[in-house]
Amino acid sequence: MACEAERRPLGVFECQLCALSAPYSYVGQKPPDTRSVVLLEESYVLKDPFTADRNKFLVLGSRCSVCSRLVCVGPECSLFYSKRFCLPCVRENIDAFPREIQRDVEKRKMPAKMPCSKPRSPT
Amino acid sequence: MPPPRTREGRGHRDHHRTFREEEEPERWDWNLPETRRLFEDAYFRDDDYIRQGSEECQKFWSFFERLQRFQNLKTDRKEEKDPEAPKHSIPALADLPRTYDPRYRINLSVLSPDMRRSRERGQRLPPKSVSEFRWALLHYLDFGQKQAFGRLAKLQRERAALPIAQYGKRILQTLEGHQVVVVAGDTGCGKSTQVPQYLLAAGFSHVACTQPRRIACISLAKRVGFESLSQYGSKVGYQIRFESTRSSATKIVFLTVGLLLRQIQREPDLPQYQVLIVDEVHERHLHNDFLLGVLRRLLPRRPDLKVVLMSATINITLFSSYFGGAPVVQVPGRLFPITVVYQPPPEVEPTTAKSEKLDPQPFLRVLETIDHKYPPEERGDLLVFLSGMAEISTVLEAAQTYATHTQRWVVLPLHSTLSVADQDKVFDMAPPGVRKCILSTNIAETSVTIDGIRFVVDSGKVKEMSYDPQAKLQRLQEFWISQASAEQRKGRAGRTGPGVCFRLYAESDYDAFAPYPIPEIRRVALDALVLQMKSMNVGDPRTFPFIEPPPTASLETAILYLRDQGALDSTEALTPIGSLLAQLPVDVVIGKMLILGSMFRLAEPVLTMAAALSVQSPFTRSAQSNPEYAAARRPLESDQGDPFTLFNVFNTWVQVKSERSRNSRKWCRRRGIEEHRLYEMANLRRQFKDLLEDHGLLAGAQTRRPGDSYSRLRQRRERQALYQLKRQHEEGGGRRRKVLRLQEEQEGGSSEEDGASASRAASDGGVDIQDVKFKLRHNLEQLQAAASSAEDLTRDQMVLLKLVLGRGVYPQLAIPDPFNSGRKDSDQIFHTQTKQGTVLHPTSVFASSPEVLHPQDPESRAGDRSREDKDKMSSKHQLLTFVSLLETNKPYLVNCVRVPALQSLLLFSRSLDTNGDCSRLVADGWLELQLADTENAVRLLAAALRLRAHWEQALDQQLARCTRPRLEDDDEEAPTVDRKVVAALSRDLLQFTASKVPYSLRRLTGLEVQNLYVGPQTITSAPSLPNLFGSSTLSPHPTKGGYTVTDFLTYNCLTSDTDLYSDCLRTFWTCPHCGLHMPFTPLERIAHENTCPDAPQGSPPGAEEAAEPLKKTSALQRPYHCETCGKAFLFTPTEVLKHQKQHV
Repeated sequence: MACEAERRPLGVFECQLCALSAPYSYVGQKPPDTRSVVLLEESYVLKDPFTADRNKFLVLGSRCSVCSRLVCVGPECSLFYSKRFCLPCVRENIDAFPREIQRDVEKRKMPAKMPCSKPRSPT
Repeated sequence: MPPPRTREGRGHRDHHRTFREEEEPERWDWNLPETRRLFEDAYFRDDDYIRQGSEECQKFWSFFERLQRFQNLKTDRKEEKDPEAPKHSIPALADLPRTYDPRYRINLSVLSPDMRRSRERGQRLPPKSVSEFRWALLHYLDFGQKQAFGRLAKLQRERAALPIAQYGKRILQTLEGHQVVVVAGDTGCGKSTQVPQYLLAAGFSHVACTQPRRIACISLAKRVGFESLSQYGSKVGYQIRFESTRSSATKIVFLTVGLLLRQIQREPDLPQYQVLIVDEVHERHLHNDFLLGVLRRLLPRRPDLKVVLMSATINITLFSSYFGGAPVVQVPGRLFPITVVYQPPPEVEPTTAKSEKLDPQPFLRVLETIDHKYPPEERGDLLVFLSGMAEISTVLEAAQTYATHTQRWVVLPLHSTLSVADQDKVFDMAPPGVRKCILSTNIAETSVTIDGIRFVVDSGKVKEMSYDPQAKLQRLQEFWISQASAEQRKGRAGRTGPGVCFRLYAESDYDAFAPYPIPEIRRVALDALVLQMKSMNVGDPRTFPFIEPPPTASLETAILYLRDQGALDSTEALTPIGSLLAQLPVDVVIGKMLILGSMFRLAEPVLTMAAALSVQSPFTRSAQSNPEYAAARRPLESDQGDPFTLFNVFNTWVQVKSERSRNSRKWCRRRGIEEHRLYEMANLRRQFKDLLEDHGLLAGAQTRRPGDSYSRLRQRRERQALYQLKRQHEEGGGRRRKVLRLQEEQEGGSSEEDGASASRAASDGGVDIQDVKFKLRHNLEQLQAAASSAEDLTRDQMVLLKLVLGRGVYPQLAIPDPFNSGRKDSDQIFHTQTKQGTVLHPTSVFASSPEVLHPQDPESRAGDRSREDKDKMSSKHQLLTFVSLLETNKPYLVNCVRVPALQSLLLFSRSLDTNGDCSRLVADGWLELQLADTENAVRLLAAALRLRAHWEQALDQQLARCTRPRLEDDDEEAPTVDRKVVAALSRDLLQFTASKVPYSLRRLTGLEVQNLYVGPQTITSAPSLPNLFGSSTLSPHPTKGGYTVTDFLTYNCLTSDTDLYSDCLRTFWTCPHCGLHMPFTPLERIAHENTCPDAPQGSPPGAEEAAEPLKKTSALQRPYHCETCGKAFLFTPTEVLKHQKQHV
């Protein structure tokens, strides 16, 4: 059983593309308190804040397999196709992906500039 | 299909079912519960991600069905083979699967059961179905992840988009260099939700944030907990009067100002906090203003304490300069442009007398304008600010007629006395093409924020309670609003898009408005504040450094009132009763009731009544006009008075609650009772009880649980089940927004909650969450015991209760008008000392049956119908005590109890003046009592003196006990006041109240009041009656004339033309005790009786005769005349023996 300390935030995850930030409580492929589910990539994980169920987790993001940027799982920032890829890398190497992915990426917006990418600084 | 990671479904054993998919795939039915259970057994076990039988499990299966349907639609997905591409140079891209499968897009995997467990399960499941199931499960989990991440991202986006997000760093930086920072920003800038989070993120861990309203504490704690992603952690909590979610892990707590002040009272240096956020300081609430003063003094003592004052952009320099020029971080609000339209109503001739009632026409005109100018598909609702409830119903009526006609509006009222369910309706959505028109008091200015408002109508008026401490009168008066309020109202139109504000006054009116509203401290009674200041030892309230000092006069009035009530002594120090009152969060009057009640062992009923009198009336307004409600309520009514009716309502409700099969919500609805108020009563009652117990005024709660281990176990199980229900409800997220029905408003606005809350209950799975919370918080068994014992209240207890109530609320008394018996029920008038012509509140029991107030002695009924009540000699004159006087369109007496006039006045009056033979009495300088018989008069007066002294003594003892610091475990027996003393006092009081003496009662005219007293006499002939009123020595009264007997009684100071010879009229009389036989005036006779050496000691002489029936407490008692001492007794045989021993 995971003890209380394990679920305390280890740090703050910040997406290097959209600047989304949230505290994470685990990094790896086997989220604590969860037996039957494994992750297929090294992920930054938070206990799902929207439910009281303690074994529910939420994957925030992971590193791009090409450029190693830390990116969130949001559709504007990355996709998963047997590995995690940030959208800039996908676009750069679009030919390496099957047609379904290519079509899908075309539909997606460019990474959102507003509002999260703006660093929060005093004006 | 997914790449086979694990091998499944080996071996098809022939059990009760055989699945050979190749042979009979069509017989595999996913909809069969047995089929599903097979998979649930394998995949949804207790330690799995989804558990069998959980809500999530149901969700999964409905997701499964949808997925199946979706896949049937696109059967035979074409397997697209990508053209062979050269191997990629980047390794990560080199080994991508070339054949596309959606499975590759999911970043998680579910372990199959046999990988975790040793076979046995999942073995008789056909492989195709297993992969179908796993495929769905993966999709479900992935979908859940996407959904949750979407919520998180949206949340973060919204937070970052708030105007205050740009200022977070600056606020933290400023706070580093300064002890106090003012954050000024308008509604919607996000300061209340974000600043606490910035502090948390910056590493502060002991943060308190005060709110003026309880409801804001709860909603902010929820919101901030949610936003800081610890909704179900415990970093964020709240603490209000009856509830706390605070734990050791809590880093930030939202609490009410009142509660923080109490914490300061306990620990003046507030060691438990690092940062204090004081929100909404601009609202200038009484307690907030006081808190600021307390903090200003505290800051030098706690240099490490940081204070953040949060305010709207109103009068910021006031706060900044009060804290020595504290830096201000100003955040712009986020408002869309708002067009202001001034539409003053056309000048009406002032001669039209019916200026009382509001003309709804200008409001309807706005509705028409909106209908004409804006197409219905352009959404946007209307918020109308009106001054009060009467105005709301006037406009409601007119607007509903208009709405029925046009079918384009849903009209909803919004004010604080609405039921909670009705209040919630304003958050629901109007159907397409229809707008909401919300008619609101100033509650929607700051307290309640409704989304989607595009139009605002501002009447420019507000009704505010003003308080006249002399008359103890609350007055609801209409005022023009301030410019600040007008701007606030206008701003409500621009929260979601550009808006329009219609001001129903001229621009010149606006310019003439005061810039800010009057702070509360300048318009309310300060008794409670002064009491609190005294108990917090902040020194003389007159020199306290308030941000803006209150008017000297109201401070002085408050101090005087508290001295009058015995809360402060002559040096203005807190008395024992005062320090107790300071801890009771109620009106001084109700606090006194609690203390008095606990002394007479009437704590249980008094607790209920005090609680009932401290919350808003539970009777809904609509019920007044509904005969069904009235009929259903009738059995609960008590003709003793409204507090007794409330008492019955509460007790019956508790009984209903304790019966498992009955639904208290339904019970309330059928009687037009707002159940929420009853919950409040229960909470308050418990708080009072705890306080009384803490102060040793009430024996502590029975800690031992009744019953054997089995019933304890059962109770524990029940509680667990309740907790479970509560958790489920909380996870369910409570109420959802609904779409309003257009017909709804035709049914009559606010009263049709039946359907709405019934359907709500159904959507909650039939759980009444209020009921669950109630049962968790209270010991229902104890409450029920108290409630059922209330049914057995004896007549004596009832009389004592009325005395307790009467003494508590004194001098709030009203006398019925002498012509009342000839008037219609609705026209009954009453007069208080300061206010003539008050009427009964329509909810009062006496409003429907005023005849119980008319003095109708059977003996006097015969002849003199013609005589007015005021001249009537009767022993049954009654007065009304009332808890408050509320002036709206009429002055209303609220919460009345009828009490016997003579006895109450004798026992409670602050000043009693008599004539020479005491047959004429004037109470508190306004009520005159004329007794037929001098002898009775003097006897009663003397008895009253004695009773008052005894009562005072007993009370002092009681209070001395409760102020003594309580040691642990020293209260095994907790003897409060000596039982015998109280029993004797109760008995004497009962006898006194039961005395039947005919008298007349009337209110003095103004002229009579002016010429009431003889005035100081130059020749003071010392009265020859030194012992008329016990042992008091008489001294001349300096202003009234006559003689001061006690601090309230002045003898023979009334001007009169009948008492010139009264002291000369002597008749022969034999003393029953010593046998003395000589001529006496009545007064001389009583004086002799008081001092007669042979008279029996103890009980007051005035009560002797009536005492007989009560004294026979034991059937064995017999009259006994002692030969030795010559006295008469009522003795049991053993008592006779005891007595005889004394003489031996």
